[in-house]
Amino acid sequence: MINLLANALLMSTPLLFGSVAEVLAERSGMMVTAIEGIFLIGAFSGFVGAYACKSLLVGLAAALGSGVVVAALYGWITVYLKQHQVVTGTAINILVAGLCSFLMRVFFGVPVIPLTVEPLKKLPIPLLSGIPLLGPILFAQNALTYAAYLIVPVAWFVLYRTSLGLTIRSAGDNPEAVDVAGEDVDALRFSLVLVAGAMGGIAGAFYSIGYLGMFTTNIIGGRGWIAFAICFLGNWNPLGALAGTLVFGVAEAVAISMQSSGGGQLVPNELLIALPYILTIALTMARRSFNVPGKLGVPYAKEG
Amino acid sequence: MKARFLDLLVSVAAAVFLGLAASAAIMLFLGKDPLSAFGLLASSLIRDKYTFADIFVKAAPLILTALAFAVPYKASLFNIGAQGQFYVGALVASAVSLAVGGRLPGVLGQAVALLAAAAAGGLWGSFVGFAKARFKANEFLISMMSTYVALAIMNFFLRTSLMEAKHEYPQTDSFDQGVWLPLIVGDTRLHAGFALAVLIAIAIWLVIYRTPFGYRVRVVGYNADAARLAGIDSKRTYVATFFIAGALAAAAGFVETNGVQHMLVQGFNPGLGSEGIGIAILANANPIGIVFASILFGALKGGGVIMGQMSGIPASIIEIMEGCVMIFVILSYFARSIVERRREKRELQRRMPA
Repeated sequence: MINLLANALLMSTPLLFGSVAEVLAERSGMMVTAIEGIFLIGAFSGFVGAYACKSLLVGLAAALGSGVVVAALYGWITVYLKQHQVVTGTAINILVAGLCSFLMRVFFGVPVIPLTVEPLKKLPIPLLSGIPLLGPILFAQNALTYAAYLIVPVAWFVLYRTSLGLTIRSAGDNPEAVDVAGEDVDALRFSLVLVAGAMGGIAGAFYSIGYLGMFTTNIIGGRGWIAFAICFLGNWNPLGALAGTLVFGVAEAVAISMQSSGGGQLVPNELLIALPYILTIALTMARRSFNVPGKLGVPYAKEG
Repeated sequence: MKARFLDLLVSVAAAVFLGLAASAAIMLFLGKDPLSAFGLLASSLIRDKYTFADIFVKAAPLILTALAFAVPYKASLFNIGAQGQFYVGALVASAVSLAVGGRLPGVLGQAVALLAAAAAGGLWGSFVGFAKARFKANEFLISMMSTYVALAIMNFFLRTSLMEAKHEYPQTDSFDQGVWLPLIVGDTRLHAGFALAVLIAIAIWLVIYRTPFGYRVRVVGYNADAARLAGIDSKRTYVATFFIAGALAAAAGFVETNGVQHMLVQGFNPGLGSEGIGIAILANANPIGIVFASILFGALKGGGVIMGQMSGIPASIIEIMEGCVMIFVILSYFARSIVERRREKRELQRRMPA
C-alpha cells in the first residue's frame, strides 16, 4: 500500500509539472496544444544530454531548453501571427515526433541493446523520511518530485496573490482591459507559453531520465494530452490540477502494480492501460460549472 | 474571389516548397545531402509503375481521415480522434471479413464489411458529438482520448478472439481473397479503395456545399449563436458531423485492411489521424483540395520509405517534411491575411477618391 502510494506520487510528478504549466498559460488565454510535442522533445533531449555528458543535470537543462525552443515556435505562430492554436499544435507535434525519431537514428543508429542512463535516484530526506507511513510516501522520492511539491503553492500564490497573477488572469478573461492598463498582452501571453515550455520539457525528461532511464519514440504516449486534460478538469486552478494529477497518478500506479502482480488474469491488461484515458473521458463529461477563461484560445487583436 | 483563389494556390505552393526546403536544411545540418535525397525520392517514384501506383494506394486512407477532420471542422468542431475511429473501422471490417469471407459473394462481402465498419466508426465518433451536445464536454479532449481507448480495444481482440491461428503474433489470419478490394491497375497494389475515397470526397463536397444539411453545418461553424437564433439545432449538428467523421475514418480502416494488408496488424499506420489533420489544413478543409493534398502526402510517404532504404536517411524524415510543410501552410495563412487586407484597403481607396 505504501509502495503503491509512493509510486502514485512518482507517476504524478510529470503530470503535475505539465498540468500546472498548462494552467498558467491557459489563464492568460493560451492553450498550449503543443504540449505533447514539448513533453516528447523534453524526454528526448533530456536523454541525449544525460547520455552524452553522463550528467542528469545536463539532461534536465537540455530538456528545459528544448521545451522552451518548441514553445517559442508555438508561441510565435499563435500569439504574434494569431494563427489557430489547435492546428498549430498539431503541426508542431507531428514535426517534433519526426524530429525525435530521426535524430535518435542519426545519433545512435539502431543499437542492438537499448541505450540506457542511470535514472534519477531516490533522495530520502533525513529524519522526515523516518516518519511512519507518511515518510516513505512523501519524503523518499527523487528530486523532481520534491520540486513538484513546490510548484502548486508557488503557482497558486502567483496567480491569486500577486498583481502579476491578476494581470495574467485578466489577459485570459478580458485582454482589452489589460491592454488599456498599459500592459502588453502578446508579450505576457508569449512569456507564459515559454514558462509552460520549460515546465513541459522537464516533465518530459522525467519519463526518460527520471524514471525509465531510456528513450523510445512512443515514451510519452498521450501523457502530454492527459496533462492538458487535467488542466481542464482541475478548473484552471493549480489546486484542482493537483487533485486531478493525484487521481491519475493513483490510476497509473494501480495499473502498473496489477500488471506486475499478475492481476492481468482478472482484468484484461488492455483495460488497465486504457483506464487513465477512460477516466479522462468520464471526468470531462461529468465535470460541471467550468470557469473557462473567457478568451481561451482567442488571439488578441488590437483595434485599429 | 478569383484573386483570392489565386492567392490560395500560390501560397500553398510556396508553403509546400518552403516546407520541403526547411526539411532539406535539417538534412544538410546533419551531414546528409538533401539534393541527392530529393532526386532519389523523385526518380524512385516515377521509376516503375508499381511505386508510382503506390502513391495513390497511400493517398486513399489519407483522403478519408482528412475528411474525418474536415467535416466537423466546418462546424468549428475539432475531431482529433480519427486515428481511433480508423482502428475501430479496421477492427470491425476485419472481424466481418473473417466471418463472411468465402461465404458471401465477393462484392457483397466487401459491402457488408464496409457498411459494418462505417456504422461502428460512426457510432464511436458520434459518442464524441453526443458528449459535446449533452454535457458540453470538450470534443477536442474526448476525441483525443478515445483514440487510446480504441487502440486498447484493438489490442485486446488481437490478443484474444481475433488472433491468428498459430497464436504467435498480434494479428489476424489473412482474409479470404473474395473480400479483398479488387485491383484497378494490374501488376500494382492500386485497389478500388482509391476510387472509393475520391467518390466519397466528391460526395462530401456536395453534402457540405449543396445541401440544406451542409448549409446548417456551415452556419453552426460560422456563428453558433446566429444558428441558434435561426432555429438550427446545433446539438444535432454536433452528433451528425461526428457520426460522419467517425464513419469516414472507419472507411479508411476498411480500405487499409481489405485493400492493402488483407489482415489486421496491431498498431498499423499509426500516423494516419494526424496526417489527415495536416492534409485538411493544407487543403483549407475543402474536400476536393483534400484529394490533391492527400496525393502529395502519399508521394512523400512512398518516396520517404524508398529514400530511407536507399540513402540511409531514416524514414522518419517524412514526418519532418510533413510537419515543416504544415507549419509553412499555417504561416501562409498569416501571409494571405495580410495580402487580403492590403487589397481591401486599396479597393476602398479606389472607390472613395479623397
